[in-house]
Amino acid sequence: MYSVETFNLTKFYSNGIKAVDKINLQINEGEIYGLLGPNGAGKTTTIKMLTTALKPTEGTAKVAGFDIIKESMMVRRNVGIVPQDLTADEDLTGIENLLMVSRFYNVPYGRAKESIDRLVKLVDLKDAINKPVGQYSGGMRRRLELIMGLVHNPKVLFLDEPTLGLDVQTRSLMWEYIRNIQQLQNITIILTSHYLEEVDALSNRLSIINKGKIVVTGTPEELKKSIGGDIVMLTFKYGKEALQAADILKSYKASRITELTIKIKSSDFSKDSQIILSILKQSNLEPIRIQVEKPSLDTVFLEYVGRSLPEEEGDSDSRKMMLMMRRLRR
Amino acid sequence: MSGLIPLTMREIKKWYRNPIFFVVGLLQPLFWIALFGSAFDITRAVPQYSFYILQGAPDYITFIIGGIATTTALFTGMFAGMNIIWDRRLGPLSRFLASPIRRSSIVMSKVLGATVRIMVQVLILFVAALLLPSGLILPKGFNIIDVFIIALTVLLIGILFASLFSAIAIRITRQETIMGIVNLVNLPLMFASYALFPKNLMAPWIGDIAQYNPVSWSAVIIRTLVINGKLSGAQWSTVLNNLIYLISTTILVVLITIILAEKEIRN
Repeated sequence: MYSVETFNLTKFYSNGIKAVDKINLQINEGEIYGLLGPNGAGKTTTIKMLTTALKPTEGTAKVAGFDIIKESMMVRRNVGIVPQDLTADEDLTGIENLLMVSRFYNVPYGRAKESIDRLVKLVDLKDAINKPVGQYSGGMRRRLELIMGLVHNPKVLFLDEPTLGLDVQTRSLMWEYIRNIQQLQNITIILTSHYLEEVDALSNRLSIINKGKIVVTGTPEELKKSIGGDIVMLTFKYGKEALQAADILKSYKASRITELTIKIKSSDFSKDSQIILSILKQSNLEPIRIQVEKPSLDTVFLEYVGRSLPEEEGDSDSRKMMLMMRRLRR
Repeated sequence: MSGLIPLTMREIKKWYRNPIFFVVGLLQPLFWIALFGSAFDITRAVPQYSFYILQGAPDYITFIIGGIATTTALFTGMFAGMNIIWDRRLGPLSRFLASPIRRSSIVMSKVLGATVRIMVQVLILFVAALLLPSGLILPKGFNIIDVFIIALTVLLIGILFASLFSAIAIRITRQETIMGIVNLVNLPLMFASYALFPKNLMAPWIGDIAQYNPVSWSAVIIRTLVINGKLSGAQWSTVLNNLIYLISTTILVVLITIILAEKEIRN
């Protein structure tokens, strides 16, 4: 039996946007499963449906053995969520937040206290746990959010962009916590991210999602292998040169990715470069920049989604507002 | 309803831990009594009619304390709605919505939290009014049953207003919107009522409207009790009638709030 299985899961918003379009996922028990995609790909909408915060337009899913539409209360009982937003109450202490959440799940006080103690140690929050959350640093708040989703020993844990906005050091620390949690609890973890390294470092398997559809599924290694060689990007001075080069290099699966840049594939560019450049030279074309990408999730992404992930996440207006209000409140 | 108790505890903790919010909440009723109760004494110009205008009250503060208690409930009740929007803006609501608790317990915890605040504020209001020179003067026959009915009235009006403003906040995502709505409804609720003026001083049309206003019901119940203490038969029927209006309206508004919360609340 799968820990999470979706059946043509679909969500259309009232403005006609197909946020999630007939997604079929099969996630095994005890797996860390990555959902990778650019902003607006439908990752968060998928998570929201699987955690019963949103009703699907069509299709359904089973989470921890329960139907997300017919048995939504049972689903909520058996899953833990670490949403993108920070959800802890800033006026309460860490421990008060954790105890409050465990009461939502009817965990008896003694057992709650026990599992909270264990979780707090796991993420090194012991010194701060009796302080108001308003005094926490960004990394500490993320760690608290992580264990707030675990106080009731869920079978499935959903992590929605768990390291969004954290510095590199804190991020790798979070990865370690997530791995430890997975090993200690034997829990299924579903992780969304647009950080490729994160999905590469953590997940056993992943799906790349773009425009509400699953583009490809596999282990990170399988996906890297599926690329079959280096991806080379050639940039020219003029758009018409790029157009011409793309035409000439058809046998290398050339395609234009921006006005001035084309992408080609080569099984081993260190061998092929001489030939490719001489072919171009014959037509008086000379790239002003050559960029070679060895197979990585980045190239996988480029291959299947067509453009690289943006470096910065675009803050939506409401998110900006939220962050601003948080500052105002201090 | 596994979420109702922990969520209500949270509301109360947030209240007494925030020193400014706490102190302001306690000072506000004192300001009312000190400023409105003294400055607006409507009998000063015509002292010979004061007994008639004040419906038998020995002084203006005794007459108006029921109205001030009710207005305090009105103003504190609107924070219940504001707090829902804060929770939505700041993030905790998404955690609550993902938990296996009833949606209505999220909203009702705000209502209960606000009601506890209202009860404490009104208690302080009465103690302050009793201590104030020429303040609240209780009649001879005033007894424990009167105290009980006053407490019940404040409880009901607190739940009523907190539910009303929470229900308004269920689908609203912006602070500005609810502020606008609150300002719009507060003025008529306060002034188209018998809270601050007796009916016989009002223009007839507004006096007629005021009898359908819950603010009037609550103010009249408390006023009748603190002026008369031991009630006559006619006074009892006034109190009981108003109490029945108040109880049935409160139940209705709470039910609507619960249904709206279950169906409509989202992030």
